[in-house]
Amino acid sequence: MKRALGPAALVVALLLYPFLDRALGFQTVHAVSDGMIYVLLALGLNIVVGYAGLLDLGYAAFFAIGAYAMALLNSPVLGSPLYGHAWSFWLCIWIAAAVSALLGVAIGAPTLRVRGDYLAIITLGFGEIIPVAIRNLGDITIDIGGFRLVERLNLTGGENGVNPVGRPYLPGVPFETDPMPWYFLILVIGAASLWAMNRLRDSRLGRAWMAIREDETAADCTGVNPVSTKLLAFALGASFSGFAGSVYAAKLTAITPGAFEFQVSIMLLCMVVLGGAGSLRGVILGGMLITIFDRIVLSQSTSLVRWLGRTAGVPLLASMDLTLWRWFFFGLGLVLVMLLRPQGLAGRRRGATALAPAEVEPVAAEPSAPPRVEAIPEWLRERAVSPSAGPILEVRGLTKRFGGVVALNEVDLVVPRGAIIGLIGPNGAGKTTFFNAVTGLVRADGGRVVFEGASLVGLRPNAIVARGIARTFQSIRLFPEMTVLENVLVGEHCRLRATVYGAVRRPPSVRAEERRARERGRALLAFVGLGGKEDDRARNLPYGDQRRLEIARALATEPRLLLLDEPTAGMNPRETETLTDLIGLLRRELALSVLLIEHDMEVVMRISDRITVLDYGTRIAEGTPAEIQRHPRVIEAYLGTGYEQELAARDVPR
Amino acid sequence: MGGPFEAPHLNWWEVLVQQTINGLTRGAVFALIAMGYTMVYGIIELINFAHGDVFMLGLFISLFWFTMLGVTKTLSIAGLVTLLPLVFVLTMLTTAALNVAIDRVAYRPLRRSLSFMLENVALLWKGPAPIAYPDVFPSVDILREWFGVDSAIFVTTKDVLVIAATIPLMIALHYFVTRTRWGKAMRATAQDRETAQAMGIDVERTILVTFFVGGALAGAAGLIQGMYYNIGMWWMGYQAGLRAFTAAVLGGIGSMGGAALGGLVIGFLSAWSDQYISARWTNAIVFSILILVLVFRPHGLLGERAVDKA
Repeated sequence: MKRALGPAALVVALLLYPFLDRALGFQTVHAVSDGMIYVLLALGLNIVVGYAGLLDLGYAAFFAIGAYAMALLNSPVLGSPLYGHAWSFWLCIWIAAAVSALLGVAIGAPTLRVRGDYLAIITLGFGEIIPVAIRNLGDITIDIGGFRLVERLNLTGGENGVNPVGRPYLPGVPFETDPMPWYFLILVIGAASLWAMNRLRDSRLGRAWMAIREDETAADCTGVNPVSTKLLAFALGASFSGFAGSVYAAKLTAITPGAFEFQVSIMLLCMVVLGGAGSLRGVILGGMLITIFDRIVLSQSTSLVRWLGRTAGVPLLASMDLTLWRWFFFGLGLVLVMLLRPQGLAGRRRGATALAPAEVEPVAAEPSAPPRVEAIPEWLRERAVSPSAGPILEVRGLTKRFGGVVALNEVDLVVPRGAIIGLIGPNGAGKTTFFNAVTGLVRADGGRVVFEGASLVGLRPNAIVARGIARTFQSIRLFPEMTVLENVLVGEHCRLRATVYGAVRRPPSVRAEERRARERGRALLAFVGLGGKEDDRARNLPYGDQRRLEIARALATEPRLLLLDEPTAGMNPRETETLTDLIGLLRRELALSVLLIEHDMEVVMRISDRITVLDYGTRIAEGTPAEIQRHPRVIEAYLGTGYEQELAARDVPR
Repeated sequence: MGGPFEAPHLNWWEVLVQQTINGLTRGAVFALIAMGYTMVYGIIELINFAHGDVFMLGLFISLFWFTMLGVTKTLSIAGLVTLLPLVFVLTMLTTAALNVAIDRVAYRPLRRSLSFMLENVALLWKGPAPIAYPDVFPSVDILREWFGVDSAIFVTTKDVLVIAATIPLMIALHYFVTRTRWGKAMRATAQDRETAQAMGIDVERTILVTFFVGGALAGAAGLIQGMYYNIGMWWMGYQAGLRAFTAAVLGGIGSMGGAALGGLVIGFLSAWSDQYISARWTNAIVFSILILVLVFRPHGLLGERAVDKA
């Protein structure tokens, strides 16, 4: 009851505000409405920057496209190929959003191969190209060899922009004379957008965005398709700017290319960063602060300073124009906020320690309970396929070169169904490269990889996960800022079906799917021994728990083959024991096939059915643990001559 | 930076040569700024958005030093030999110190905000109107007056100045990065900061040196720009910075040679585009080419492919 009070008060305040403003004669509704348009833009940008973590320096381009789509379709005088056949505002606003979303895909598509700062530069480039194009498409003459294809065609109104732009029409609502209907129109659009964004964030798609932001490679290897996920971020982020742009154009009734320059993109980015990227409340706060400062505080304090200057007789102050200093104050404010609160005004506070997760606690605080057969989640059992004939994975002649270095040289490896196969060898032997080639992270230069009778060559990592191969990483790669449960839910991503529409509408089927996914996730976490830690941030887990979470995340993808890259590295003997039991249990109870890279010889020798040894990218031996222990080349290359004696001294059959 | 070259008496190859010379001088300035970007990025993976404005302030600061030294008119030969190098050194030292100060004041927070603050400083200092930069460097039509060739193509002493000033700077930088202790420290820090630290390199000092050198280069570029075009505007830092950064990315950010190459490519492209398409479209064309290059070579022309370790 108490929690509902705050939002209710806010709603009442928002509804009463324009009437209060009118009664008191403040006349700030105009400025506040404009501010809300920028807040809506910042919220759209937040999807791209805050959720998906793609730095976009040219977001104003989408704003421009939205505004121009509205202006050209809706202007009664000029511009569009429609020449005066103005369309209704209520139709155009949807067209503008669709056009912006399309442009988002068009801009997003070439940037998909590019990461980080290069992506930022490409968006910056588009942000520069769009205003230039709008400026110059006001007067197009194409002249090829004296043949005039097009003469003085005016497509966009050029430097002068489009004027006038038609206003929306609703019977009895004075959009022409009164700022109040605008306020409510923008309020409705903003509230609807906020509602949609809130639902998107807590959906399958929202989790995929955050996973991409946290670690794109790990997300890809957990079954999230980075291509479509990023494109959706661009498209959805842009569509909100389409709404904002079209309302902006209609409200102003005139637009010029100057309103969509680089500075606008930066100001929007400032709003997002100031408030806290990824936090809806923060972005609204940041956006409101900056626009109110810009539109009201600066002009008011200019008059104040001038008045002071006049009364005190200081000519410098009397002619001061603080609005020219706007960027100075923005910059100063941003630097201060970043120094004092790097996560933004309302952003989630990051962990108190700045240490890397591995350094927080090198070993688990409490010894973990051994895995129990009864704890195996029922749904995982249901997925277990009865061992049928034929190997589950068959690799033939796999070759990978990095420049002149042959990392894998014609490697053969077969994983029979339900077997645990060890992959050992000295550092740099090509073990992880082998994993990367099988899971699609690196493209092999030759050879065949056949999983359950179908070739995996050329498939992207996420598609291979969908086929039923999951992996963990040598250096743990979780999604550190997401919760433990969310990490596992990302693992389930490729088994869930909710679409964008479903995520926003949430029909019963999607609700049921989401509920089921959470139940499964909790059961899985309880099974690996992370019960009760669902809502902890992954980065705050102790090291051993992080390892187990990574395995839980891999299991959540419902694999039939599990690739484990040094799962016991950095664990104490007790944890190693538990983990070894867990792997054995998974094989015994679920018929899960396991391919295991491991340096702990005790573990490998104990649980592997067969072992393959790599050295300098070449397979030097293959056989049962007993055969491998006595293999002269393995002893020479890897185990060392002392190993046999050590083994004898330790009395092998334990 | 100059509109299309309007000279009806030039034939087509003369136009091409003339625009190529223009592109070369423009590109040389871009390259100097781009190197500062690329150095800072290489070492702390940070786009120093304030860098273009350090260049802009370099122009104003060099003007300040010229005024302090009483230079308002074209220099004599004696002045060229004595005062010009002095102004070069003074300007570069000032902007280098400025760049270091920027790094110290706003090391962690977003750097782009600082760029706007610098623009405001220039706006306050010199006012919003473009300022005239005195014609300190003599402009002589070399081909006509020194060689007596009656050519329609202009090659002036100023063009020579730009090249003569940038190439030694680039060589010096190359020497600094590849042959000196600090250069080695910079390269090590750029590759792996933690390991460099473990090897006893003072990483903070190295970053400081990087900002110092980058600032000096931007200052030199500002001085050259002022002497060449005789005009300065407070907003030029953004435009030049954007093109220079584009150049750095085009060449492969983090690579010195790439920055130089990217600067020249952008210089040529913008000059040719001004001439053959339209100056209005130049920005769009420069960025389109940048996007195309990045799509097909995501790490730039000379950049090294970063390997994502699993």
